[in-house]
Amino acid sequence: MNPIANRHKGDREVMQTSAKRLTKMTLLAAAVLLAALPAAAREVPDVVEIAPLAQYYEPVVFDHSMHIEVAEDCSSCHHQTTGTPMLDENCGRCHHAPRTSGAAACAACHAIEPFSAETLRAKEMDNRLYHRDKPGLKAAYHQNCLGCHAEMGGPTGCQDCHGRTEAGDALFNAGAYAPNPAAAAGHH
Amino acid sequence: MKGISRRRFLAASLAGGAATTLTLSKQAIGAGAFEGYPDGMGVLVDLTRCVGCRSCEAACNKEQNLPAPAAPFDDPSVFDQTGHGGQKRRTDENAYTVVNRYEPEGQEPVYRKFQCNHCNEPACLTSCFVNAYTKTREGAVIYNSKVCVGCRNCMIACPFQVPAYSYSSAFDPVIKKCIFCYDTRLKYGKPPACVESCPQEVMTFGYRKELIKIAQDRIKARPGKYVDHIYGENEVGGTGWMYLAGASFDQLGFDTDLGKEPIISNVKDFLGTVPMVLAIWPALFTGFHLLAKKKDHAGADHSSHNAQEDAEQ
Amino acid sequence: MKTYIEQGIGAVDSPYKDKDKAEKRSWSLVEKLLLGLTAGQYLRQALRNPFNWILGLIFIVGLPLIAGRFWFGLSFATHSSNDYPWGLFLAFGLFTMVPLSASGFMLGTTVEIFGRHDFQPVERLALLNGLLGYFFAVVYLLVDLGQPWRLPYPMFVSFGTAAVLFLVAWHVATYLSVQVAEVSSAFFEWIGWPMGAQFIRKIAVGLTVSGIILSTLHQGALGALFTYAPGKVHPLWYSASFQWIFFFCSAIPAGLCMVIAVSTVVKKTMAWRCDRNFLDNLDNLTIALAKGASMGLITYLTIKLIGIAHDNEWAYLTTGWGQWFLLEMALGVVLPLGLFAYAIRHRMPNLVRGAAFLTIFGIALNRINTALIAFNWKLYQEIPHWKEVVISVTIFAIYIVTYRFILYRLPILFTWKEAPALATETVTEKATSSLGAPALVEMYSKSDR
Repeated sequence: MNPIANRHKGDREVMQTSAKRLTKMTLLAAAVLLAALPAAAREVPDVVEIAPLAQYYEPVVFDHSMHIEVAEDCSSCHHQTTGTPMLDENCGRCHHAPRTSGAAACAACHAIEPFSAETLRAKEMDNRLYHRDKPGLKAAYHQNCLGCHAEMGGPTGCQDCHGRTEAGDALFNAGAYAPNPAAAAGHH
Repeated sequence: MKGISRRRFLAASLAGGAATTLTLSKQAIGAGAFEGYPDGMGVLVDLTRCVGCRSCEAACNKEQNLPAPAAPFDDPSVFDQTGHGGQKRRTDENAYTVVNRYEPEGQEPVYRKFQCNHCNEPACLTSCFVNAYTKTREGAVIYNSKVCVGCRNCMIACPFQVPAYSYSSAFDPVIKKCIFCYDTRLKYGKPPACVESCPQEVMTFGYRKELIKIAQDRIKARPGKYVDHIYGENEVGGTGWMYLAGASFDQLGFDTDLGKEPIISNVKDFLGTVPMVLAIWPALFTGFHLLAKKKDHAGADHSSHNAQEDAEQ
Repeated sequence: MKTYIEQGIGAVDSPYKDKDKAEKRSWSLVEKLLLGLTAGQYLRQALRNPFNWILGLIFIVGLPLIAGRFWFGLSFATHSSNDYPWGLFLAFGLFTMVPLSASGFMLGTTVEIFGRHDFQPVERLALLNGLLGYFFAVVYLLVDLGQPWRLPYPMFVSFGTAAVLFLVAWHVATYLSVQVAEVSSAFFEWIGWPMGAQFIRKIAVGLTVSGIILSTLHQGALGALFTYAPGKVHPLWYSASFQWIFFFCSAIPAGLCMVIAVSTVVKKTMAWRCDRNFLDNLDNLTIALAKGASMGLITYLTIKLIGIAHDNEWAYLTTGWGQWFLLEMALGVVLPLGLFAYAIRHRMPNLVRGAAFLTIFGIALNRINTALIAFNWKLYQEIPHWKEVVISVTIFAIYIVTYRFILYRLPILFTWKEAPALATETVTEKATSSLGAPALVEMYSKSDR
């Protein structure tokens, strides 16, 4: 074996080795970074269809990406479930360290039936102060949305966000089910 | 005479009577302080959340099979309607619950839903002479139309002016009021229709005792938002439906002069006098008669003029 | 009727026709009902009477309205108000007529309990006034109730024993029975069953004492009904502690003045029906009744003042409502008191009569104020539907017709002569009670021969 002959590898060989090593490093770094990111951030939707409560009103077609632009922070709607600190001081008393929870969707924590016997019993057992007074899913949507809309001049009418269904018209005696104005009688 | 002597009989009766009175009086001390059944439900109405959408009126109308209204439930012009003497809308035979709009000084309009408050010691129940009302263990004050005679004393008694009468019915007029959806929901552990329908969860359904704590927590958590008073916690002995508001209650159509005593407390004094009169009058007037009657048979009327002054006792 | 009596016919006042002749024929029931006239004569005298024309007019308008109220429901005749559930039928028909019918127990007590038999000439009139007043109060109630066919429910079907109205229902029902019994002695004399009258005489004291107990309680209870609505009645008409005492105490002068008033009407319009026992003693009795009424009125004035002091309501007297209250007290209490005092002092029975009518007006005003005008004083004023007014007037007209019918026939204003002799027992004490009448005295003294 001639050691002097091995010392003289071509430039192309050296460059190829460096490139391989760089790609490996990048891939490794990327993997680490991706692992560190919260899972949901990977799936931030642009539009959400909110349908679980649709009965008297159509499902809401919610423009998520627009709201991301106008909102202060993720926590103004998602509380602290997206890893950003809580803005509300009452919540912040317990939730001071931002930490992600399993899901950012409202339905993950807010019950569809907040006053069923099971939910009431669960609330009775729950000694976490503010969670006893946790609104149900429908109220969570409305209180959150309407609160901000009223302050920032967004839509506040019922049908501005979701039109009524046929069943809704029947319930409200509106639209096709509106009473005949001529039939509005005097009271005796 | 066989058996016990008269003296012993009297002594035994007195002892028995004393024993009965003492036991009875112990119970009597607790009377009138009924704070509701321990598992009684209630509803906390948070008026800072109400937006006046009237979904609750619509849901109640459907649940209780009430007739169609004069205007659609999403028609806000009803808030401008005034009845007799400028009064806002009230509950009537076709509407067990009503939402009205109030404009307190220097504030946004406040919407107020009202209906039967399902009092702990209901005035309607205590005034009914055929026992048509019942306060159920779940907390609802319900009404039995099968015994109602139509005297309408309950309407006079209710401090909240809630019960309505179906005057338009010729042969079966009855009282109409919110029954906490007892027959269709509360009995089965479900919340009433209005509570379920509300988009803003203005109404929180739960155990009455819990709701008071929740209300106190809400006031403490946001002191600037609420007036520091839970209306219905103590008014007229406490009601099942209680209210929180962001403006003072008298500006929102609430009667703030009601006091803490249930209505029956006003009547108890008279009711207690009744057995006294029943016991005293016979002896008193028979006594007068015996005093006024003269024992001689001469025939002339000897009664003195003093008896005349006694005539208007 | 006066014309016929001048001619010597009519006005049955004994069991027999031609009572002065040896041969005695009894009046038949029909003849008694027609006052001894033929049907034609009776009809003619009825049609000649202008008061009957007014009554006829009232009935033509009012009776169809009453039928309509029952056929179409209360919405036909009232404003169907949920804020004012009680209207004129109760404010006038029940709350006013009941204290005005207190005459029954007042005169019953005076004669039977206190032994003042000098009041006997007006006793039966007072008892009848009481009976008819309560009976028609129940008629007004039936017109007002949503489901009047269920009236017996609190007696037999479902008991709400804590309710004041339960007490009222039971007491009025029981008291009506007592009053029917008390008046029945007159009926038994008229119909020809003296055994019945004797029986009533035996239980007279018991009946009267029951009457006082029941009356005290339900006169008071009608007041206590308003304690269910403490915030709704204006403070000047309301007292948490004394409401029932106010109502009971004011019933006393009300009853006494009604006797004065009715006897005045009777004297003016049917003097032919009254006998000398009645007419000759009436002025003195009027003065005596006025003394009693004055005592009642001054007591009532005092307790009203105590009530205002107790709840510290003096400030209300300067308001509009306060002026209305002062007017009611002035016209209904103070002015009659003054007139009574003057008239009694100077022995002026006609002035007494005027003051009695004023007192009755004051009582009526007080009850209508409490139940209707000063009720819901914080809300709007409700004026009763015109149909309510017409129906109330019509029922009152029926009341007057019934009153007149009975007074024309039964021995209330006159003494029934010569009841058939029943010498089955000797009386050990002189029968001076009018529940048995001097006729029985005559009868027994005859049987002693």
